[in-house]
Amino acid sequence: MRVTKGARIVAGTALLALAVAACGGGASDSGGTAAGGGETPVRMEIGEPQELLNPQNTTETEGSEVLAAVFSPLVRYDENKQPVEEAAESITTTDSKVWTIKLKSGYTWHDGTPVTAADYARAWNFAALQDNAMSSSYFFGRVDGYEDVHPGEGKTPSAKEMKGLKVVDDSTLEVTLAAPFSQFKTMLGYTAFYPMPKSAIGPDGKVTQAFGEQPIGQGLFKLDKPYKKGTDPTIELSVYDKFPGKKPTGWTKLQFKVYTSSETAWNDLQAENLDIHDSLPATAISTAKQVLGDRYFDEPDASIGYIGTPLKYNKDFQNVDVRKAISMAIDRKTITDTVFSGTRSPADDFINPAIPGYRQGACEACTYNPAEAKKLYEAAGGPKTIELGYNNDGGHKEWIEAVANNLRANLGIEVTPKPFEKFQGILDALDSKEYKGLFRMGWAIDYPAAENYLTPIFGTGAIGTGSNYGGYSNKDFDELVAKGDQATDSAEGLKFYQQADDILLKDLPYIPVYFYRSNFGHSTKVKNVKLNLLNQINWADIEKA
Amino acid sequence: MGRYVIRRLIQAIPVLLGATLLIFCIVFALPGDPIAALFGDKRPDPAIAEVLREQYHLNDPLLLQYWYYISGVLFRGDFGVNFADIPVSQIMAGKFQITLNLALTALTMEAVIGVGLGLWAALRRGKATDTMILASTLLLISVPTLVTGFVLQLLLGVKLKQWTGADIFPVAGTFAGWRSYLLPGFVLAGTSIAYLTRLTRTSLAETLRADYIRTATAKGLSRRRVVGRHGLRNALIPLVTYLGADLGNLMGGAVITETIFNLQGIGNQLFTSVYLREQPVVVGIVTVLVLVYILANLVVDLLYAVLDPRIRYE
Repeated sequence: MRVTKGARIVAGTALLALAVAACGGGASDSGGTAAGGGETPVRMEIGEPQELLNPQNTTETEGSEVLAAVFSPLVRYDENKQPVEEAAESITTTDSKVWTIKLKSGYTWHDGTPVTAADYARAWNFAALQDNAMSSSYFFGRVDGYEDVHPGEGKTPSAKEMKGLKVVDDSTLEVTLAAPFSQFKTMLGYTAFYPMPKSAIGPDGKVTQAFGEQPIGQGLFKLDKPYKKGTDPTIELSVYDKFPGKKPTGWTKLQFKVYTSSETAWNDLQAENLDIHDSLPATAISTAKQVLGDRYFDEPDASIGYIGTPLKYNKDFQNVDVRKAISMAIDRKTITDTVFSGTRSPADDFINPAIPGYRQGACEACTYNPAEAKKLYEAAGGPKTIELGYNNDGGHKEWIEAVANNLRANLGIEVTPKPFEKFQGILDALDSKEYKGLFRMGWAIDYPAAENYLTPIFGTGAIGTGSNYGGYSNKDFDELVAKGDQATDSAEGLKFYQQADDILLKDLPYIPVYFYRSNFGHSTKVKNVKLNLLNQINWADIEKA
Repeated sequence: MGRYVIRRLIQAIPVLLGATLLIFCIVFALPGDPIAALFGDKRPDPAIAEVLREQYHLNDPLLLQYWYYISGVLFRGDFGVNFADIPVSQIMAGKFQITLNLALTALTMEAVIGVGLGLWAALRRGKATDTMILASTLLLISVPTLVTGFVLQLLLGVKLKQWTGADIFPVAGTFAGWRSYLLPGFVLAGTSIAYLTRLTRTSLAETLRADYIRTATAKGLSRRRVVGRHGLRNALIPLVTYLGADLGNLMGGAVITETIFNLQGIGNQLFTSVYLREQPVVVGIVTVLVLVYILANLVVDLLYAVLDPRIRYE
């Protein structure tokens, strides 16, 4: 998932760094003035969605948040972080290769027509087909027949539909994967797997502008009017009467307010012009705790931040002791507490605490130990000068500088932080051999499974096409991940993934630095606000206070 | 006069065309791949990037790309689309409305407050009022918009509502109609108010020392008539020049104010679009801004003739 909040924070944080410095605590909660006439909606903060509201082309957080209100996923994630059926009646498999998805009856599109298995097949085939250039295409890479519809750069697809998708009847979809994958059910809660009504596709074979502005979903809320992206300051929704699942009690109107700066949204929350703010700026955290009290929440977020090592590009970092020494020389606790004001926590595993499979303290080399680090580094003959690349557009400068200071002081070497304009610039520079230093790297999950922290970033198959930018390759690791994929139940698969994780912890291809946290708060007008594993709100649970 | 206006407008055409080409080239020359930027911190799927590049003509040479763009504008009135396939004309229509409201509010405040204070200071030159006005304008000039914006938003937006319960100055957005623009308008106008005050003061003080003012006073005209009719009118020329040029600044340069007050205007859009390398959006907006400058300058030139009868346009 790409995080456009990053981009927005350029406009926000970079310009408005001074932010809430003047903000004193101890504000009283005066009741807001009631707007005359009609129901006051529950108002939620978002950044402007990057694309039109089309689930198959939305892989960033803001658009996903809106779509999550409009569509109902096949699975949701329960308290134990396990996928449970939502729009699906059952999702079964015997071999992790052929999956049978039975749909729950009673679901209708917002135009009244029933939802069928064909609507799912249509959406997934549309997303996978290369010519449609949908950003969620890669989610279907495991489905049998993906190669035919998505053969790669410069090649023409030989089919329009994936042969692995079979509509058995109106309520049954059979999915055959190219290879077994035990975590497939977990993937199904994501935006890319929402269905698509027939009317979404126009005569030219593309998703229509009208659908992108006012998507017809099968979820709890429907859009009241088309959302003109770039012009409308809000997205207005109301509860869909015929939604068969749980509906909120006492309220029916939802409003997403588009903000360009999270600082401004925070001021609006204090003035009770906004009800839910799920990306409180780091500058506001200490004030927010005071002002909001028990309306402030701080929960683990599934994203992770690393220092990447260019294994493939630079011999200097190929000795594992060099990487270990660098890792031990980083004072994670101080960085997360001071640079990030507690909005991150020190990383101690490759798997994030928000996801099943995380083991506390698993990463021994993630413990701060400057004396040992220096000894190890010198014994291993680590490079005397290091470059530390980062992209300048996402608020990374401060923590990269902090890491650089750690390395200078603790390893006695010369460290130069090197800004790139965008993250892509680092990758291009590595590929063209213009740059061969360490680099900043982050990962936001695509689906909440431990496997998602392994294959796409460290698998040999992810070099070149995936996100394995450092070029790490380890046969044992690949085999263990494959064993996990082939397992017939999720829990058994997890064991193998953890063994694969152990190899990463030993090899340290990347150096985990911090886990993200979600900092959100709400106004006095609502209560029972909860985020799910994908950082989306459980709307049905919210009550008006 | 009519002929002069038409000639000026015809002269604007090559300026506008040149501006579009220049901006187009500049955005083109910026480093980085616009398609990659769409994928954030992930490497884009090469197959998909290829389809998108083809779709937006990014593989073609610069001049051909420019031809696609400019022929669309000239022959079809089509300003192109951004990378989310939203027509640029739709983006511009919504955002210019907001920015225009903001700029006009700011301009009115400048004219009223700036000229008013300057007039007052000029008439009380050397006295305590004058010193106080000068000191406060100095403060207004030295404090960055960022600070005034946040402080005023917090005090008049957030705290005032918390204390009184009345929503007088909205914190952000355009939901309260014209009231939404008062606070951001003032913040945006801040430094200009200060400059204009000082400009008015100096210009008027200068004029008031002129011989014809002495003559007017000696003729026995009332003080109001001397200052208003003979003094201020002649002192207005530099002020009008400043205001005219400032309109363009206010429209294109309001990024910070727009961000603080969450006004989804043109400044912010320009910032994002340059970041995302959305050529058609950047070119469209900048061209309109150039047009605003041209028109504002024309109006200023015409106003010279009104203010000073000695100036004539053939």
